[in-house]
Amino acid sequence: MDIKPLSEVELNNTEASRGSSPSEPSPLVRDDEVFIRMTPIERLQHITLILCFVLLVLTGLPLLLDPAMWLKKLFFFETSFAWRGWIHRIAGVGLISLSVFHLFYISCTQRGRDLFWALMPKLKDVTDALESFGHNLGVTRWMYEKGILTQFFDRHPYWLFRQPPQYGRFNFIEKFEYIAVWWGNVVMIASGFFLWATNLSFRLFPLWVYDIFKIIHSYEAILAFLAIIIWHLYNVHLTPDVFPMSRVWLDGTITGHDLRTHHPLEYEAILEARRQAARTTRDTEAQRSGAQINGDQTLDRKSGG
Amino acid sequence: MTCLRALGALLLLVFRVRSLSANDPNEQCLMCHEDQSLKNQSGHSVFVNKGGFEQSIHGKSGISCVSCHADLESVKDFPHAETLAKVNCASCHDQPQKKFDASVHAVARVGKEAQAVTCVSCHGYHDVLESKDVHSKTHPLNQPQTCGSCHLSQVNGKKGQGFVKDFLQSTHGIALSKTGLANSATCASCHGSHEVKRTADPAAPISRRQVPNTCGQCHAGILKDYLEGVHGQDFAKGVRDVPVCTDCHGEHQILSPQDKQSKVYSTQVALTCAKCHDNEELIRKYNLPEKRLRTFQGSFHGLASAYGETKVANCASCHGFHNIRPSSDPNSPINPAHLPQTCSQCHAGAGEKLSQVKIHILDPKAANYAGYMIQKAYFVLITFMIGSFVVYIVADLKTRLMQRSRKV
Repeated sequence: MDIKPLSEVELNNTEASRGSSPSEPSPLVRDDEVFIRMTPIERLQHITLILCFVLLVLTGLPLLLDPAMWLKKLFFFETSFAWRGWIHRIAGVGLISLSVFHLFYISCTQRGRDLFWALMPKLKDVTDALESFGHNLGVTRWMYEKGILTQFFDRHPYWLFRQPPQYGRFNFIEKFEYIAVWWGNVVMIASGFFLWATNLSFRLFPLWVYDIFKIIHSYEAILAFLAIIIWHLYNVHLTPDVFPMSRVWLDGTITGHDLRTHHPLEYEAILEARRQAARTTRDTEAQRSGAQINGDQTLDRKSGG
Repeated sequence: MTCLRALGALLLLVFRVRSLSANDPNEQCLMCHEDQSLKNQSGHSVFVNKGGFEQSIHGKSGISCVSCHADLESVKDFPHAETLAKVNCASCHDQPQKKFDASVHAVARVGKEAQAVTCVSCHGYHDVLESKDVHSKTHPLNQPQTCGSCHLSQVNGKKGQGFVKDFLQSTHGIALSKTGLANSATCASCHGSHEVKRTADPAAPISRRQVPNTCGQCHAGILKDYLEGVHGQDFAKGVRDVPVCTDCHGEHQILSPQDKQSKVYSTQVALTCAKCHDNEELIRKYNLPEKRLRTFQGSFHGLASAYGETKVANCASCHGFHNIRPSSDPNSPINPAHLPQTCSQCHAGAGEKLSQVKIHILDPKAANYAGYMIQKAYFVLITFMIGSFVVYIVADLKTRLMQRSRKV
C-alpha cells in the first residue's frame, strides 16, 4: 500500500481549485485505507481484453498499411500471412468468448449488475462532460475577463465553469469508454464474422455489402485503436495525478485518498454510510451507557457539496 | 555434285592407303612429340598426348597428323621448321566454318585479337571428341563450362559478366547439372553453335522475333497456347512491343514458377504484367485499360499477395497466362459466360454472384457508393472524436499542470 507523505496530503487538501471535493480526510475513511475497485475476476477480464485487443491490432494493422519494405520484412516466411490471419481469428474468438463471459457476469452476479447500472450514463454525465470541457478549456472565463457577454455571465455564472464537476464511482469518461467497448465489440464481431466466412457472405450478399463490412471493420478498428492509445491511456494512466501508470488494473485497489480526490461523490456515499453506522452504534451505546463519544464534532461536519 | 563426291571418296581412299602404307606416319611425329618436356624455341610445349589423340574423333577415324598440319606433308628433313601454317579446319569442315565466319565470334576475332575465338577454343586441339560424347567440351552437359571459360569473366557484354552463373542457377541449368538431362536447354540450344549471333541480328534465334520459335523447339505446347492468345496473335501480326517468352520468364535466369525469385512466382506476377500494363506510354499507344496494377493492389488479393500470400488470386488466376484472351473472346476465363466458373475456383458456390460485379474499378464512388459514403462518415467521425480527445487532453493537461505549479 502506497501511503502518501503527509505534506502532499496537506497540499492536496488545501488546494482551492479542486473545488468542493472533500478537502480533509475524515477519521471514518482514512487516506491510507484500501478499497477494492476491481475484483480479481474483473481484472482478469480486463487483462484478457488487453491481450486480445493488442493481438487483433497487431495482426490487423498490416492490412490497413501500405506493404512497404520494412513491413513486408516481418512476413519473411511463406505462410506468415496465413499465420497473421489465424492469430487474428484466434484473438477474435478470445474476444467473443470474453464478451459472452462478461454478459454472464453483468447479468448473473450481483456485483456485475451493480457495476453495469453504475456504468450506465445519466443526465449528470452529459452535464459533467460539458462542465469538464468548459472548465478545462476556460473559454468562457477568458471571454468574461475580456469583457465579452459579461451581463450574460453575471446572470448565469454556471457558464463560467469555475469548478470542475464532481464524479461518483464512474465519471463520464469511464462510462463513455465502457459503452464504446460495447459498441466496438458488437460492430467488430458482426463485421468480422462475415469477413471470416468469406464464401458464406458471398453467397448471402452482393459483393458491395461485403466491401462495406470490410470498410466498417477497418475504420472501426482505427477508431478503437486511437481511442485506446489517446483517450484511455491519457485519462487512466498518463494524466499528471497518476503518471506514469495507475496500478488499479494490476492490484485492483484504490486508496481512501484517491477516492476522495478522484471520486468525491463515491467517497461521500461511503462516508455517509459509515456516519449512519457510527450514529446507530453511538445511539445504541448512548442508550446503554449514556456516555459521549469523542470526535462528535468532526463527524458531523459536512465537507463541501 | 555426285562426281565431286565420288572424287572426294576416291581421294580419301588413296590418302588412307598411303598413310597405312607408311606404317602409321603418326609414329614418325610422335617419336619426338611424345616427349612431355619438348619445347619450341619460345618455350611453348609442343608435346602431343598420344592417348588423347587416339581417343579423339580424328584419331579414331584414322586421320593423321599431316592431314591437318598439311604443310608438313612434303617435309623430309626433321626436326622441321618451327613455324607452321595454322591448321585450317575448313579444309574438311567447310560448312561449320562458313557459319562460324558469319558469327559474332568471328567478328570478335577480327576486331580484338585478345578475345579471339577459334575452332579449338571450344573443340580442343588434338583430343577433339564427338559432341555426343559426354566428355566432349561441346556436349550439352559441358557447354556452360566451355562457354563460361570466356563468358564468365573475360567477356564484358551488355548484360555484364554473370549470365553463365545465372544460367547455372536457372531451371534449365539445374535440369542439366542436377537432374542430368542432356536434352535440357543449354547455351547452344538457344544461341546456336557455330552461328552464334547478337540479339539485335534478326537472324539470331534469340532475336525478339525468333524467341517464341526458339523456346517452342522444346515447349511446343506452350508455343501453341501462346499463339492462340492475345499476345501471340499480336506477335504474329508483327507488333514489336508485345511480350515474348523472355519478357515474363527472363532469359538466362529462367526459374521455375514455384521459385520465390521467379518473375512468374505467384506474388510476382502482378509486377511482371505491370511492366507493360502499368506503362503509360504503352497504355496510350495500344489503348490498353488503365490502372490495372493499382486496382489490383488495392484489393485484398493484391494486398495479401504483396505480403507474400500465394493462395490469393493474381493476374494469371483469372486471366490465364500463355493464352490470355480478351473478355470478348468466348473462350476467355473472364468472358461473362465463364466468370462464375473462374471465381468458383477459389470461392466455391459464390461464383454466380461474384461474376456480376465489375473488377478493377478505380473510382471508389462508382465501385460502391454506399461503401464510399460510410467511409466518408467514418472519416468525419474519427476526425471529430480524436480531435475532441486531443483538445480535451491538451486543455486538461494545461489545467492540471498549472494547478501543480501553483501548489509548488
